[in-house]
Formats: sequence, C-alpha cells, structure tokens
Amino acid sequence: MDYSNLRRQAASMKKSLFDQGYLDEQFCQVEDLQDEASPNFAEEVITLFFKDSARLISNIEQALEKYPKDFNKWDAYMQQLKGSCSSIGASRMKSECMSFREFCGQGNVEGCMKSFQKVKREHGVLRQKLEAYFQLLRQAGPAGAATRPGM
Amino acid sequence: MASKNQGPAAPRALVVEDIKVDLVVLLRMLRKLNCEATVAHNGKEAVDLFLEGKTFDIVFFDKDMPVMTGPEAVTKIRGMGASGVKMVGVSADFGGLEAFMQAGADVFVPKPMKLETLDAMLQEVIGKKNMSG
Repeated sequence: MDYSNLRRQAASMKKSLFDQGYLDEQFCQVEDLQDEASPNFAEEVITLFFKDSARLISNIEQALEKYPKDFNKWDAYMQQLKGSCSSIGASRMKSECMSFREFCGQGNVEGCMKSFQKVKREHGVLRQKLEAYFQLLRQAGPAGAATRPGM
Repeated sequence: MASKNQGPAAPRALVVEDIKVDLVVLLRMLRKLNCEATVAHNGKEAVDLFLEGKTFDIVFFDKDMPVMTGPEAVTKIRGMGASGVKMVGVSADFGGLEAFMQAGADVFVPKPMKLETLDAMLQEVIGKKNMSG
C-alpha cells in the first residue's frame, strides 16, 4: 500500500476542511498535543466530542419540545456545546451555536428552531468528514498500529 | 486523581471543569508541560479540596458548572484565606472576564486556551516558587 500517498490524501482532506471553514486553528493545537505517549490523542478527543455533543443535542431537542419555552435552559445547553466546539476547532458548528444563542437572547422561537436544525446539520457533516479523515490517517499509519475508537 | 510532582519546582495544578472534552484537552496540555493536575468537576468539589487542606499553586476554573460556578468557587476559596494560589478563570463566555475578576481571580483566559499562554502562566508560578524557596 502506498502510505505516502495516503498521507498526502489525509493532508489534502484536512486542508479542505480548513478551507471550507469546518475547522480552525484550534484543531491543529489538539493534533499538536499528540506524541509517542499519546499517538491517537486527537482522534480520542474528537470521539469524545461527538459522544458528548450528541448527548447535548438530544438534551436541547427535548428541551425545545417542552412548554413553556425556557430560553435560559436552551442557552445554557448551547453554551456547553459551543464551548466544546471551540475546544476542538469545530468552527462552523461554533458559529451556528452562536446564532442559536443570539436567537435565545431575542426570545425568537422560530429563529432558535431553524438555527438548531443548522447546528444538527453541521454536526452530522463534521462527524462524517472527520470520521473519513481519521480513517485515512489510520490507513496511512504504520501497518497494524491502528485502533478504532467508536465514533 | 492525584498530582504527580516532576521536580521541586513543578507547580501543583487543580483543574475545575465539568465538560469532558475541555477537561481532557487542558489536562493533556498540562501533561505536555510536565504538570500533572488534580481534577474537580464543579466549584463545590474544588472548595471541598481546599477545606480538606489540599494546597495548589494554580487553579483553572471553568465558569458555568453545576452545583457551584467558577466565580462562586473563587469567592469562597479566597474567603478561606487562599491568597497565594494563582486563580485562572477560563471561559468561552464573554461575560466571564467581569465575573471572574469581581470574584477575585488573578487572570481571565478565553477558551480555548493556547499552549503558549498556559506555559507562560506555569513559568510564572514556577518562578515565584523558586524565589520563595
């Protein structure tokens, strides 16, 4: 297998994620925390992010369906999600989280609902793209060294 | 999670954070800078550590946490006479600066924290420890 070609493909994929605004510099900071002792740190953190963010999104979805509308609760949940997005460099997701919070501040239910759908969409897209990126990285690594945490 | 000294000047850090992703990243950054840390998952756990007599050189507080927030914990810990410990407020919330500084924190750092920023803070703490002997 041509490992150098796979690494080039992974690098190109990562560049594309940056160029399209899915990721920002913080993702590089997370990757830079990898070393021989923690060679899969970035993938482990991303896996943890998607587990946590799926739970938060589910919480928000349930909260959005309840009456009376509790903008403070919605905002608090989305603030957590926004914080996690910042920590891994999920730039487009973070922007959508911020939009949602602005609508909360305005008391705009329709705006919150539409914005939340965008958050979910960005979450799903980012998950697919990062899953593909790390799969490529695992293939490009030394033979037999890859382990796959559940994402 | 117990602290592990790397040498006589290694700072003792406490990380107060409820969001796992943020916690894991900060702990990894600290480990990369040869600083192991104790973890508290909310402000009350942090206060309880100080009440137990635990001492730290630097404490990193997230702002919004269940049970007790970061600023509330800073206020309580300062009220216990912990004036020598460097208290760092960390938040992605723009309102975090005012909340933490009013509570008595030494510095506020917006999330996500850069490794260079963390390194500079730890070096300052190490420098003070070396001067005090």
